[in-house]
Amino acid sequence: MKKVTHTQTVARGMTRRMFLKGTAGSIAAALAANVPNNFLTQGMFAPNLIRQNNTVVFAIQEFAQEAIQSVLPQFEADTGLTVQFEGGPVSGNDMLTRYSPAFASGTSPVDMFSDADDSSPTFMRAGWVMPLDEIIPQETWDDFPPSMQDHIRGFLSIDDVPYRIPHEFAVGYFFNRQDWLSERGLSVPTTWEEMVEVGKEVTDAENGVWATTDGLIKPALLYVYVAYLTAQAGGKVFEFDEGTAEALQFLYDMIHTHKIFPEEALNQDYTAQNNLYMGDKVWFMRQWPFFQGVAEDNEDWYAPEKMVISLPPAGPAGSKSWIGGWGFSVPTYAPNPDGARELIRYLTSKEVAPELAKQQGFLLTPRYSILEALADSGDELIAAMGMYADNDVFAPRAFHPRVAEAQTVVDDMASLFLTNQASLSEVLEQGKQLIAALDQ
Amino acid sequence: MSARPHADRRPNLFARLSLRQRFYVIAILLLLPAVGLRVFTAFYPFLQTAYLSFHRYNPAFDHGGPVFVGLGNFQRMSADPVVQASISFTLVFVLGATFFQLALGLAVAHLLNAAFRLRFLSRALVLIPWAIPMAVAALGFRWMFDDQFGMIPDLLRSLAGVEMRWLIDPNNAKLAVTSVAVWKSTPFVALVLLAGLQGIGRDLYEAARVDGANAWTSLFYITIPMLLPILITTGMFMIVWQLAVFDLPFLMTGGGPGYSTTVIAQKIYLESNSLNYGYAASISMALVGIVAVVGVVGLYLFRRFDVSM
Repeated sequence: MKKVTHTQTVARGMTRRMFLKGTAGSIAAALAANVPNNFLTQGMFAPNLIRQNNTVVFAIQEFAQEAIQSVLPQFEADTGLTVQFEGGPVSGNDMLTRYSPAFASGTSPVDMFSDADDSSPTFMRAGWVMPLDEIIPQETWDDFPPSMQDHIRGFLSIDDVPYRIPHEFAVGYFFNRQDWLSERGLSVPTTWEEMVEVGKEVTDAENGVWATTDGLIKPALLYVYVAYLTAQAGGKVFEFDEGTAEALQFLYDMIHTHKIFPEEALNQDYTAQNNLYMGDKVWFMRQWPFFQGVAEDNEDWYAPEKMVISLPPAGPAGSKSWIGGWGFSVPTYAPNPDGARELIRYLTSKEVAPELAKQQGFLLTPRYSILEALADSGDELIAAMGMYADNDVFAPRAFHPRVAEAQTVVDDMASLFLTNQASLSEVLEQGKQLIAALDQ
Repeated sequence: MSARPHADRRPNLFARLSLRQRFYVIAILLLLPAVGLRVFTAFYPFLQTAYLSFHRYNPAFDHGGPVFVGLGNFQRMSADPVVQASISFTLVFVLGATFFQLALGLAVAHLLNAAFRLRFLSRALVLIPWAIPMAVAALGFRWMFDDQFGMIPDLLRSLAGVEMRWLIDPNNAKLAVTSVAVWKSTPFVALVLLAGLQGIGRDLYEAARVDGANAWTSLFYITIPMLLPILITTGMFMIVWQLAVFDLPFLMTGGGPGYSTTVIAQKIYLESNSLNYGYAASISMALVGIVAVVGVVGLYLFRRFDVSM
């Protein structure tokens, strides 16, 4: 073999073996060097290394920030802390996408945040949010009515230790066009049967007018409606039981058999749903409370008789609508945990919560202090909340420890059935299997 | 101040190295940033993903860390209807979209290669779909395909009398998503092929015409053979690129109806978003396997048709 001289080696460049050996050695040396502990545990750009401890970073959806801003001067004067807002994600899935990587690596970009029902159980079980039992005083917890206490125990706690405190009370309200119904001499449907009966009379599909609709696009929105109907059927949606079967069949029949519900809703979101309603194409529908504000802002169209809230049409288990909503949490790795504790205590106090509720529906819950403060306000949502409470409409939100995944299963199965890709018995069977797989 | 004797001065470590050793030290130091970048952004994540694919790990439930499950995740994948459907649709989507991107791209490249007025303007205008961000295109087409509000069903209804439900019919939804991908990336393929077309000498076509060749025979016996290396390279690139597609189907249909337009990347996203890192890693490794197969086929084709790499 021809011998390669030094000069030749240099001229030809390094051999692959030498390069790999040298590189591996250099990397090993770099790793073995004394890397500052902060970088290893908190990341090179960890916010707690660069942020002053007199700032509390608070993430909440932007439309709610103005209301919170209005009560902060007192807080900032009392504590010397400054609150800095960040736009919060708009769904549980987005919450998981945005915060999981930071939390999993032992950091947090925020000190306090508004969290959703479908992400919070995951954060709680991973130990990424702090227990609130010793941070929030008992009198604040006692301010919530029994219907919300159940929700707090089921969805916001582990072993009766709360990790999130509700600031929103989301319930699907049944909006209807009282003006049209009166004109036609019809009554608001009060049962599923009446809904079909009235629906057939008022639907004019050729002109795009439907008795009812909803936003059913995946992910998550189809689940919302199926769970709503399942609550009315008395079922447990994650068990794919008889009640779930009745709910799915009823929805299928509204779309395909009675044709009072547009099939297109399966690929539409709430914006499209609201536009249909405000475009005078829908007689009645379920929608979240935020629709009240959206409609009122549409001044050219809005009139109270176009937006009357009635009890949901009763299924086999009665007139029901499940409750849920967003709440405040403090990340375990909050850079300024002391400031976050002060802020969460302040915003949820019996004195401040009613002030927030007056300004923003996203910060409205049926807490005693809030109902008392808003009793004479004439607010439609407050009146509807009272009516639903009096008629025992509120149903607990279906819980599963892996709630986001379980909701995806319901989404998928319902979509398969409603688009004729599988029979009802097939989706019930497959749904049970997929939910069982989550428990393994 | 007294000067230290010359004999006491010790050369530093670098100065004590031979010329050859210095050469290697400097080379390694210069290469280190690039190598480090690849190690920490490619090799380490890949190895970590491979490791996790043999474990069950969800930080919300497995507080003791990853639990070794051997091939358990892969076994679960084989029985998971969503994974099966997503692999199936991903392959149909990628192969279908790539085929039409190449075919239409070749046609558009021919048009753009012809001599006509405003040719330069046409070349710029054709690129517009490619310049639109995928998320914007997906949301825009979601509205355009909407059966109540959309202009595409409306146009088909009023111009051709065709009644089709697009995004709520499983097959039509697949067709719609694939069509948008074709619309979006065809200009890019056309641009690449246009460069190739400009490299084919006119004398070849003239000689063929003298021998009696028409446009079709010229296409199949001159253009395509001459463009084959570029066609293969572009085709491989589009396949590998589109295997990881996520934004288009996710924003256009949410993966539905059912899971008919769910792609592998969306399934990986859903699992990792639920913190099922082990299962998400195993699906990622399956995707790596598919890309590897495509890569092997590509290498074979490159060698078969003498594509220089």
